[in-house]
Amino acid sequence: MAELQKAEITGTPALNGTYISEMDMWPFETQEFNRIYPFYDNLRAGKFTTTKCKKCGHVTYPPQVICPKCWAEELEWVELPQRAKVVTLTETQAGAPIGFEPPLIMAWLTFGEKSPLKHLLGRIIHCKEGELKEGDEVKFVTFSVPAHPIEVKKDTKICDRVFYAFEPVK
Amino acid sequence: MAQKKNAVIVGGGTSKFGVRQAHILDMIQEAARACANDIPGLKPADIDGLIVATTMAGRHSSALNTAPLVVHRLGLKPTSLCIRLDTLCAGSNSAVIVAKGMIESGIAEVILITGAEKVYMPQRWETNYTQLAVNDHDWDSAMGLGVPPPFFAMIAKMHMKRYGTTKEQMAHVSVTNYAYGDGHVNGHFAGRTLTMEQALEARLIADPFGLYDCCPLSDGASAIIVASEERAKAMSDKPLVYLRGTGQHATHSMSAGWPGDTLAEWPHLKKAGEVAFKNAKLTPKDMDVIQTHDCFTISEIIELEELGFCNKGEGGAFAASGAIGINGVIPTNTDGGLLVYGHPFGASGARQAIEICKQLQGRAIHQVKNAAFGLTHNLSGTCAQHTVVVYGKEPVK
Repeated sequence: MAELQKAEITGTPALNGTYISEMDMWPFETQEFNRIYPFYDNLRAGKFTTTKCKKCGHVTYPPQVICPKCWAEELEWVELPQRAKVVTLTETQAGAPIGFEPPLIMAWLTFGEKSPLKHLLGRIIHCKEGELKEGDEVKFVTFSVPAHPIEVKKDTKICDRVFYAFEPVK
Repeated sequence: MAQKKNAVIVGGGTSKFGVRQAHILDMIQEAARACANDIPGLKPADIDGLIVATTMAGRHSSALNTAPLVVHRLGLKPTSLCIRLDTLCAGSNSAVIVAKGMIESGIAEVILITGAEKVYMPQRWETNYTQLAVNDHDWDSAMGLGVPPPFFAMIAKMHMKRYGTTKEQMAHVSVTNYAYGDGHVNGHFAGRTLTMEQALEARLIADPFGLYDCCPLSDGASAIIVASEERAKAMSDKPLVYLRGTGQHATHSMSAGWPGDTLAEWPHLKKAGEVAFKNAKLTPKDMDVIQTHDCFTISEIIELEELGFCNKGEGGAFAASGAIGINGVIPTNTDGGLLVYGHPFGASGARQAIEICKQLQGRAIHQVKNAAFGLTHNLSGTCAQHTVVVYGKEPVK
């Protein structure tokens, strides 16, 4: 069916073969579209990072442009813990958004008392259905996701992208 | 300064909710017609303000600035207010908050609130895909958080673990709401019934949820009239239903900012409820009938707790005791709620308001005897925000 659609069904011929950014499932990570792009650069280096306020010391997640606690602009990048524990989890077989292959496993994660990031909803990859249990330890893992084009004057620049998830500690 | 006016809800109506063969503007016209049927004295020319609550109109109907489209289709000529408002599933309930302020201040006299969604697209995958954009997209959605059942399933698991809530208790919620849905011909699941056995044996959607623990996504529209007391008296001879108090509270957009100790605690709802009750000069004990956001059975259970109708952790047993039934302590979702009437996001708050209006006017299909005070509640997003409105047959003095 997918092949048939591409070949013969042309609802809006002008859009055929074009990349439609407003339908993109991943963030626009590049400097041209995001002031927190160092987060993604850090992901490429295998680091899980966020911003910390130099004025009040507050660590926020996701990273920001101003501190949400005191609105200061002076922020610095700090690393977050890469290991977490599964509090509870859910496995989706049917109805996952297109682009997320079933079983889509998501878990409510805690990072421990000392972590500035307390909890997070995390996707669990490299894991079979029924394998993950409450209380299991998982670790941060990065992977590349599809690139997208942006116009730079008359040229097209290709923006490579990366994202993160968690995987069971074995 | 002139004395503050009182704002009242005069009446309202909905289109048929469900998988509709209709454009969003078609359904808004149907809802407006149903609203006019409910208020025979209403003339379109009386309406000076319009609030259109919708989330998906921009993406699914290519209608980003929706309010002027509604003006044109309904033949309105608003002079005080003409806006689109979006707080997802709380859209038209948020519109009630705005309308209350506009009318009490004297800026507007008669406001039409319409909420509407066209959810279903020519290809079904688009609906679930669009839901990636209703969460904190670059963070939670990129983890796969799109459709709500997996998230609320984790909430249910946590509530079961911490408080001993059972699947049977959750089934009591859906069975009760199906009984209430009877007679509401515009509901998504109009005409269907549900037994405990059917509820418990239904196919699994997301553990622990079976099919009947989850509300449907619906196409549909609703419309209500909020007006000053004086204008309401001129267009309707039904008892006046006053907008007494409102509260709206948000604490975060992304999972990392979740405000509770665990997913089973919703302190942001507790706060929204406290603010609304304080403004209304009432308490949960004063309520005779309520409409809460039963997007899932567990949601209604937690809402009964956080809004103060039972102790924290006892919502499951409270619901199963018959407390939410028509002769119970607090009849809840008396028109079937989201579970049975359906859930076109922006339309749900106004649908709830219609039911509370009819209950307090003594003309509901499943009438609570002598109902004098009521409440509507919506959560929106993946439980990121809570909106509460308290109604009464008397204004706040």
